Amino acid sequence: MSDNNKVKVKNLSKNFGDLEVLKDVSFDVKKGDFLCIVGPTGCGKTTFLNLLVKLIEPTNGEILIDGVPADPTIHDISFVFQEPSAFPWLTVEQNIRFGLEVKKLPEPKIKERVNEILSILGLESVKKQYPHQLSASAEQRIVIGRSFALHPDLLLLDEPYGQMDLKLRYYLEDEVIKLWKATGSTVIFITHNIEEAVYVAERCLILSQKPTTIKEEMTIDLQRPRDVSSPEFVKIREYITDKIKWW
Amino acid sequence: MEKCVTRFSLKNISKIFFKKNEDAHVIEDISLDVYDNEFLVILGPGQCGKTTLLNIVADLLPKTKGEVIFNFEEDTDPGKLGFIFQRYALFPWKTVMQNVEMGLKLRGKNKKERRVKSQEYIDMVGLQGFEKSHPKQLSGGMKQRVGIARVFATDAHVILMDEPFGALDAQTRYQMQGELSNIWEHKKKTIVFVTNNIEEAIYLADRIILLSGAPSKVKAEYNIKLSRPRSLTNNDFLELRNTIAKNTDLVL
Amino acid sequence: MKIMKKIIYILLPLLSVATIVLAWVLVAAPEESQMPGLAETGAKFIDVMTNKISGATLPIHILVSLRRVLMAVALAMVTGVVFGVLIGWSKLFKSLAYPIFEIIRPIPPIAWLPIIILSMGIGESPKIAIVFISAFMPIVINTFAGMRMIDPLLFDAAKTLGANKRQLFFNIAIPACTPAIVAGMKTSVSNGWMTVLAAEMIVARQGVGFLIVRGMQNGDPALIVVCMFAIGIVSALVSVGLTKIEGVLTKWKNA
Repeated sequence: MSDNNKVKVKNLSKNFGDLEVLKDVSFDVKKGDFLCIVGPTGCGKTTFLNLLVKLIEPTNGEILIDGVPADPTIHDISFVFQEPSAFPWLTVEQNIRFGLEVKKLPEPKIKERVNEILSILGLESVKKQYPHQLSASAEQRIVIGRSFALHPDLLLLDEPYGQMDLKLRYYLEDEVIKLWKATGSTVIFITHNIEEAVYVAERCLILSQKPTTIKEEMTIDLQRPRDVSSPEFVKIREYITDKIKWW
Repeated sequence: MEKCVTRFSLKNISKIFFKKNEDAHVIEDISLDVYDNEFLVILGPGQCGKTTLLNIVADLLPKTKGEVIFNFEEDTDPGKLGFIFQRYALFPWKTVMQNVEMGLKLRGKNKKERRVKSQEYIDMVGLQGFEKSHPKQLSGGMKQRVGIARVFATDAHVILMDEPFGALDAQTRYQMQGELSNIWEHKKKTIVFVTNNIEEAIYLADRIILLSGAPSKVKAEYNIKLSRPRSLTNNDFLELRNTIAKNTDLVL
Repeated sequence: MKIMKKIIYILLPLLSVATIVLAWVLVAAPEESQMPGLAETGAKFIDVMTNKISGATLPIHILVSLRRVLMAVALAMVTGVVFGVLIGWSKLFKSLAYPIFEIIRPIPPIAWLPIIILSMGIGESPKIAIVFISAFMPIVINTFAGMRMIDPLLFDAAKTLGANKRQLFFNIAIPACTPAIVAGMKTSVSNGWMTVLAAEMIVARQGVGFLIVRGMQNGDPALIVVCMFAIGIVSALVSVGLTKIEGVLTKWKNA
């Protein structure tokens, strides 16, 4: 058993009454990994997330973080949803500071982290503005910055970029990779968008339809920054699409 | 060639939203022609005014300057234009059947006629069996199918679609794009489709008009000559995508 | 674990009711206590159910009160919906009628009692009139709010489908604000019920409010307690009934 594993999911199953949603799902996430989970629409990704943060209990199996059962009260799990959730009563800078203040980190450390994040996001010039004064994508970036600032045990992103336009998506995806590299966080990124998964992931988990199992685990070896029209990229994308395609 | 007839034209449309603090110049100057039975895609980055443009064409918003000139044989009442909304805009108290027949009902068609016609389009979008369901019981993709059936049932000459798949996840979006493409090939209409998604634009369009960021102008026009059905990953497609992506403004 | 939770959730309400009953018994126990005990109240209840006070048994009194409420509410529904819809739909009408409404609204219905008695006397009409006033306000407010909260996108959709103004009003606005109207109706009934009791306590010869005053005048606390229970139960039943109607009328609404 490797000590390098941040997250261990063992034989996880979840039923809602007669409905089998997750069936015997097992996988590991190493420290500092960027794992993408991609699957067909309706395959129980949300259920998996809810299990991870203990909103619901598994029918079987367990989720371990650092060797102990996952528990939001012990572990630092940051969560980014599809809808931006910046605190509207705090400025950009205060939003990013928020988690660090809650954890009572020393002030110099807080300043350091916040500046690092602001600089990667390019938001220094608006750091004293309020979220509603900025665009929706900016708001989402604040939330992501806030989450990374914590250097959390685990950072979960659930379709954070929704339906933003392509140019913006590329930009944001590059940005999240920068944040990941700068902070060394362990990231689980969930998306329906196969191209996005291939673009960001170090490793990728392909899920099946309900009852959901892991169809395949793959490592994506492409150099960054990745070129979505390079033949290698396209090949991987087509491969994954093939495994998931229901439409 | 079919494309020679112009269905409608926009001449020097501009739109300013006058607000207390600062006026918002959303559309600077847009002129374009829309040809009969073409699938025209208006592509632009976020907040560039493409939805506003469509609303102006449909007379749901007033323009600040410019003209919209229609070329229909009969009069140009808004009923000749169909509109499909990103948020579906289904009437929640009505069933699927009642939603689809709404346009016909408003125009005074009798019940039998309405039902027959509506059923045809409910079948066309693959919602047989759901006639008596209410919108809240349907998924996003299904709701938009009702939206599509509702508009097609009115026999509108021109159908305006405002990011109709914008609220759906990436995979359901692919499904809907395929279906819309199919429907259009069987029931040719003039379609003006607005989106921020380059891949979607290339997949669906005969012609793409690329807008700049706000205040928006026409940046470029692309004629898409790829044969249908189109593959998202073949070389031509990807090359075209790169070209257009390079030319698109980044709006943060 | 789950079964334990279920048991607890069934026991807790029973426990809290039992505690109240116990408290009641304890308060009523001492000799000097004005509070009637369980047995006394029970006896009074049977008495009032079968023997007449002021010409009617308890059920009749309840029906008398209820009738006043229902008539007033029905009238309030019709006038209130029309008024609320007009305020919500027509800017012109709103600027005419809304300021007056806003001034009159905060006046407690009972404050109208003297004027109403002076002009209508002390028959049935004044009581229904007062209940009407209290029932009218929530309907207007809710209907107006319902109209204002209609998603403008629905109007856009209807316009693009060819709707003219009249059709927008009858085919879109009215159905769309129905849930708000129904919610207003529930508030209206409960307001009306409270007002009728107050009115009856001041000027009536029959009705549950009247019975309470009787109980006060005759030093008959058991009668008062019985009436209070009766009011509580009838209110609860009416409320349940209305919620069921609401469920049927608004089954298309998102949860």
